[in-house]
Amino acid sequence: MAKWGMVIDLDKCTGCQACTTACAMENNTLPGESWQDVLFYHEGEYPSAQMKWLPRPCMQCENPSCVHVCPTRATYKDESAGGVVFVDWNKCIGCKYCMIACPYGVRFYADEKPLLEPDLREIFPGGQDKQLWSPPYQSPDEDWSKGIGIQPPGVVSKCTFCHHKTSKAPAGTVDFDEDNPAVKEYVPACVRTCAPKARYFGDLDNPESQVNQLIGDKHGVRLKDHTGNKPQVYYLGAGAGVPAFQPADKGDKS
Amino acid sequence: MKLFQAMMSRRRFLQTSTAAGAVGATAAGVTGLSGLTQSTEARAARPRGETKVTKNICHQCPARCGIDVYTTNGRVHAMYGDTGNPIANGKLCPKGHLGSYFLYDPDRFKGPMKRTNPRKGRNEDPGFVPISWEEAFDTVAARLNNLRERGESHRFAHFYGRGWGASDAGLYGDFGKLYGTPNSAIGHASMCAEGSKKAKHATDGNNSYNAHDLRKTNYLLIMGASFLEAFRPYNNMMQMWGEMRSKSPKTRVTCVDVRMNPTMAASDRALYIKPATDGAFALAVAHVILTESLWDRDFVGDFKDLNQRFRTGERIMPGSFDEKWVHGLTEWWNEELKDRTPEWAEGITGIPARHIRQTAIEFGSTRPAVAIFERGPTGHTNGTYNGMAIHSLNALVGSMFTEGGLFYQMGTPYGGLPANADDYLDDYARNGPWKSQPRIDLARTAEWPMTSTMMQEAGPNHLKGTPYKMDTAMFYSTNPIWTAPDPKAWEEALKDVFVIDTSPFPGETAMYADIVMPESTYLERLQDSPTYPFEGWPMSALRVPAIDPIYDTKHFGDMLIEIGKRINGPTGEFYRIIDNVENVLRHRAKGFENNPGDNGVRDFESWKEKGVWYRKPYHWRFIRGDFYEWEGQRYSKRMTAAEVKQKLLRTPSGKFEFKSGYLEQYADYINKELGVPVERVGLVQWVEPRHTGGNRDLYFVTPKTPMHAEGRGANIPHAAAIHQPVAGGRGTVYLELHPDTARSRGIRNGDKVKITSDLGSIEAECRFVASHRPDTIILPFEFGHWAQGRWAKDRGPGHSGELTANVSDPISGLASYYTGKVTLTKA
Repeated sequence: MAKWGMVIDLDKCTGCQACTTACAMENNTLPGESWQDVLFYHEGEYPSAQMKWLPRPCMQCENPSCVHVCPTRATYKDESAGGVVFVDWNKCIGCKYCMIACPYGVRFYADEKPLLEPDLREIFPGGQDKQLWSPPYQSPDEDWSKGIGIQPPGVVSKCTFCHHKTSKAPAGTVDFDEDNPAVKEYVPACVRTCAPKARYFGDLDNPESQVNQLIGDKHGVRLKDHTGNKPQVYYLGAGAGVPAFQPADKGDKS
Repeated sequence: MKLFQAMMSRRRFLQTSTAAGAVGATAAGVTGLSGLTQSTEARAARPRGETKVTKNICHQCPARCGIDVYTTNGRVHAMYGDTGNPIANGKLCPKGHLGSYFLYDPDRFKGPMKRTNPRKGRNEDPGFVPISWEEAFDTVAARLNNLRERGESHRFAHFYGRGWGASDAGLYGDFGKLYGTPNSAIGHASMCAEGSKKAKHATDGNNSYNAHDLRKTNYLLIMGASFLEAFRPYNNMMQMWGEMRSKSPKTRVTCVDVRMNPTMAASDRALYIKPATDGAFALAVAHVILTESLWDRDFVGDFKDLNQRFRTGERIMPGSFDEKWVHGLTEWWNEELKDRTPEWAEGITGIPARHIRQTAIEFGSTRPAVAIFERGPTGHTNGTYNGMAIHSLNALVGSMFTEGGLFYQMGTPYGGLPANADDYLDDYARNGPWKSQPRIDLARTAEWPMTSTMMQEAGPNHLKGTPYKMDTAMFYSTNPIWTAPDPKAWEEALKDVFVIDTSPFPGETAMYADIVMPESTYLERLQDSPTYPFEGWPMSALRVPAIDPIYDTKHFGDMLIEIGKRINGPTGEFYRIIDNVENVLRHRAKGFENNPGDNGVRDFESWKEKGVWYRKPYHWRFIRGDFYEWEGQRYSKRMTAAEVKQKLLRTPSGKFEFKSGYLEQYADYINKELGVPVERVGLVQWVEPRHTGGNRDLYFVTPKTPMHAEGRGANIPHAAAIHQPVAGGRGTVYLELHPDTARSRGIRNGDKVKITSDLGSIEAECRFVASHRPDTIILPFEFGHWAQGRWAKDRGPGHSGELTANVSDPISGLASYYTGKVTLTKA
């Protein structure tokens, strides 16, 4: 059985946010409902300051805190789907407990005040389709049992590693390399579009996979490993880690 | 079960806490238990319809990335980079994916309209009423025919921003010639990046941006080019970044900029420079390359006496240095460079001398090394000279036309049009009074003798009535009433001009329009697009409509042709033969028959299928001291000096000129405008910038972020939501400033502040960014629209352009967008 993993090389990532928009359009998320966000941090001061960034998808943890707390078992880890953590929108009651439990902040509840007004939900209302909103450009794929498509009102949404794409890959696919024409359509949107090729996707259960090779060669790390969540997302490169948050008007002037 | 009870009470708490959430939570089941079992109405996977993929080119920046557009059941729902397109290589930048918003933008114009309210202004409702395309074309043509009958056809002007190719902006030349106006068309280059083109024109004779071979570059010096934000082609630059930073040897990068940005953050060395002083930095780098004997002998030449050296402050004997492919090195050293030490440059740029020296030694000792620059150094009154100094570094280290270096772009071998405009000129076109009229922007006149276009002058010139008043103006993909420096002058100017706008969107120009002829969005268009300078070899991509236009819109090229058909005399005949855009493109594609593309494209149909024609390799290369031309297998034909002059180094001397023969032709003009002594104008040299608002104490910089989207960024919800991540700007942009700069003015993080220039004031919210220069404040250019759609209108801080004085580099004509000084107070 495959275990899907993602590798993000921070030495190559340019912080452009194409992963964010590719995900937003592929999965029809609302502005601010960024399943794949990029966080920016400043440290130090002119003329020796640094700016860092961290792309942050769902870590699809092997031991996911969110699954443990879900009162309705709406959120579940699907070993038959490469270990992706899904939300079954048929079961989710929108209690948000999972959002609090998640150490990475990668679960979303879009049924709030919009980040941006005018509100897209009013411009493209959901109507008879029971969707939270219904833009004309929505993707044709939908599977509420896995949290794919546009959600109904009142549920939590999250990254699925683009399961609607990866699940259509030929059996036995190990490396989802977008430069390989035979598999490019099955590569998760954020990986497929990454211009500097800072992202890789493949099977963590196969020692010969490209992701395992990179993790081995470049000393891949998992974020917040002390929580025991065991992410299936690995980071490479200098400074791979979550920088401490410092309010901009306090502390060291940053 | 106890746990579950607790959860349910928490859910009820949430129900009361958010009204919107309550609807969903209630729907999940009042029994509280139904959620645990699969309800009968549960939705599982749905079958999807047939998906069609068409080829197109993104329209959100000049890069021209090929895209695959995914359409299912008649709806466009995704776009990804086209794997077969050499710029995109299957990739996209953050804007590219958002193209569906252009197509389904709820604020799009639905069809042609005319104005009913004669008054124009920000707060005037145009009172648009729908008209037919026939009425729109007839109205415009009647106006143009009438002007022609009165001998005033020069008072009609075309303005354009992003021209794509032969099927749109490529039609302007014939139109001007046949109809009779010098103003077909006024391009936007002088408000874009004309400075870097002019710097290259003055030194190597090519009035163009460079093509690059970055895959094989080992050292990159980036000066004010926003390489990882806005340098074109942005998407490809990021691909190259990934390659350069993971190849062996890893490309080393030094970035010089006036502010912290992603390129600075990602480079090996970030040097903060005082705005407009890049030329001084580059001259000091050149000084060190020469004194450390690091220059490229094959390209530059060498001393006759090999024991001789360049020594700081000491002249060299004329004739002692054998120049190879460069001109004027001895005079450059003796009259300028010998005293341009890193210590001298430190005093001007603020960059410590040791960093300048270290950068120079790395740059001079790593081959191939490339220095690139864009609007940062050139958006000032001394911009051309700044650019020349930077570009001279490429010559000193021998990177011109080398592997891993930089070169220029070859054109596409298009077929001819079905008719030649020269055969359809009537007497008026040949000898009418328009022939003696200058352009409305006064480009290529004594006023601006060295510039090819000066769009920013057209509005103010109309206001003054110098050289005349415009009667009618047609705008395509440009919006100077908002984007020009001092845009309020345009708001006055366009009040008494008959304005035709062709944007699909309700921009500021449209609010002043008398006729709106909405163009189809790019996903609905058939349109060609030869590449901007990229890797040198020729390439032309094609937009193929993913779906038929969803509203009553047309291709801009078809609008121009339809108006042409209605012009009296032989002009009408010409356009009846040209007929339509598809016909134009079918004729252009005939050029591929004898030049089949590397991907098999040889006619219109295969072009549509593949979306791009290209043919590698680039034809010229500099190898160990000589230039060679491609002969089918390799670069084997050695070129004569005359051939190099004709094809590659197109300067008066046929060499790379450190003493520019081109500038010397305009010595008196440059002396008058910049005060450079007549005998020195040709030298690559340091010229003091003249900042507008000179007595004010802060530099004001207004960069474009990656989400700029050709002016649409503010009305694309997902773009606006992530517009300025470096300072947390989500849904707005903040003024970025150093905390010390703020605190000394009593400003706290998040305060509303007032920025004041000589032109007036705007307000913005501020955010502390301690990594910026304390003397430079940053407000990304994007928001502050008074039109453009429901998301853009009135969003965010004031418009930075309203603080930008209309001052330009007299040589290139480039508007000095980044040169204004301002004061800052708490609002």
